[in-house]
Amino acid sequence: MTAASPARHSRGPAPADGHPLPWLVPAVAVLALFYAIPVLDVFRLAFSDASLLAPATRVTTDAVRGTLTDPALLSVLGTTAVFTGITVAALQLMGLAIALVIIRGEDRGLPGMAAFRTLVLAAWVVPGIANGLVWGMLFDEAPYGTLNSLLGSVGIGPVAWLSDPQMAMVSAMIANLWQGTAFSMIVFYAGRKGIDPVLYEVAELDAATPWQTFRYITLPLLRRLIAVNTILIAVQTLNTFDSILALTGGGPGRATEVLALFTFNTVFYNLDLAGGSVLALLLFGISMVLALVVLRGMGRERAAA
Amino acid sequence: MSGLRMSRLRMTGDRWGDVATYLLLGVLGVFFALPFAWLLSLAVRTPAEVYLGAARFIPQAPTLDNFALILSDPAFLTYLWNGLKLSAAGATLAVLLAIPAAYAASRLDFKGKNAILVGILAVQMISPLVILVPLYRWMVALDLLNRDLSVIAVYGALGMPLAVWLLKVTFDAIPKDLEEAAAIDGASRLTTLLRITLPLARPGIASAFILAMVTNWSQFLIPFILLERDGDWPISVAIFNFAGSTSASTTQVLAAACIVAVLPAVAVFVALQRMIVSALVVGAVKG
Repeated sequence: MTAASPARHSRGPAPADGHPLPWLVPAVAVLALFYAIPVLDVFRLAFSDASLLAPATRVTTDAVRGTLTDPALLSVLGTTAVFTGITVAALQLMGLAIALVIIRGEDRGLPGMAAFRTLVLAAWVVPGIANGLVWGMLFDEAPYGTLNSLLGSVGIGPVAWLSDPQMAMVSAMIANLWQGTAFSMIVFYAGRKGIDPVLYEVAELDAATPWQTFRYITLPLLRRLIAVNTILIAVQTLNTFDSILALTGGGPGRATEVLALFTFNTVFYNLDLAGGSVLALLLFGISMVLALVVLRGMGRERAAA
Repeated sequence: MSGLRMSRLRMTGDRWGDVATYLLLGVLGVFFALPFAWLLSLAVRTPAEVYLGAARFIPQAPTLDNFALILSDPAFLTYLWNGLKLSAAGATLAVLLAIPAAYAASRLDFKGKNAILVGILAVQMISPLVILVPLYRWMVALDLLNRDLSVIAVYGALGMPLAVWLLKVTFDAIPKDLEEAAAIDGASRLTTLLRITLPLARPGIASAFILAMVTNWSQFLIPFILLERDGDWPISVAIFNFAGSTSASTTQVLAAACIVAVLPAVAVFVALQRMIVSALVVGAVKG
């Protein structure tokens, strides 16, 4: 219904005419005022000597050079890559598995599927700080900590959940997985629901095994969604810092200090605005590269459709 | 293979599949439920029972003292109220901004529509962390620092892209014939939107609002930067401070505080999740 009849045109607004500007101005203006302007300012600050205690006095590349040559940055980037890479892969696998299992259960009329979905969603809306605090109690290394007292009762442990650098990383990933899985679950649930049921009926007539059905129908048809979801989750994970802040504070040492947390610490603990802005730009750059990959992918999808 | 045997084979196969389904969901269910269950268990324990760990999962002497302690603190009630106020106002702003934009995207044809929509969505890729420093300075310049309005405005900008996308899909699903009929009767576009489209879009609007509100409730960074006075903090910031303070040195009190901070969002979301999930599913399929 894009073309209205001329008779309607003369009477009142047809579906597709009218100036878009008045409709778009409020949204775009607020976005520009409270988001775009600050983004532009990040660039200016990165090339200044501003700190939380003193405003910028001159244009300089000292902050850029100082931040990029900081030996800590390399270890932070390594930590970020490990944390983001493994978390994203785990989030995808878990979200996909749960979505497919729930849909299978729904198709078979098994009870409890909605309840399970609700449980996963409940974890999603827990604030990041609370997430870190709660998992901090579960990982508590005292003999009465949740996991250690559970493991202790079957004769295992104690595990140094938060004091061992490598275990602390695993713990941070587990806490993030608990909270983040719901997003992938919804995306894949929607994607799987969007697949034509006829394909599955044909597969059943051909006596395909569940694995074959997954391998040759579900997976190929979800491939594009998996790609888009990977990037969305990667950007989200890259910017996660509140749960880690509350869980480990980045420690022990710098073992769990990801780029997002490093940026936060640079501003609030080192009071280094210029350095923090350089790091924010780095974070922005990595996110933008990932976003462009998505947009290109979506553009290609549009063109193909 | 005879037809009968085939179907029997498939039946046992399906049975085993059901067993596997429940096994997997059971294991994952424990993973997802454990933090909630443990939090609850800790929050109703006496200090003595905290030290008994998992052995006292169901406390012998459950107590509500920890909740009483938290809720009798007037500051805590202020934090909860601040959280509610900021989240609701921010979500309202996001939806109000999104409605006209989504309507234009759904009903009007214009040059650069896709570019504008993609641009709005791209904003969502930028974390508040990226703009935290300039945001603070900008709010100082606008004389909005330490005012609720600063946080509400940023929440509006932050929550709007998702709301635009959800509402566009909602509007797309409403037949244009209804609007055209009203247009023939001489109604302006604005009247049509207010009288016909919006009432029909109620479920989509509600979902967009709830999602924005829950996201705002969880926000830590923005109020942490923009509100410097303790009394202005929402619960998401206050809980972080509380965890580091001496009054939270006891685990059971912190657990009760966490429940108080987490429960409102979880309760709203659980109550309305059917509506929200269906809005998201439609959005994901159409978008």
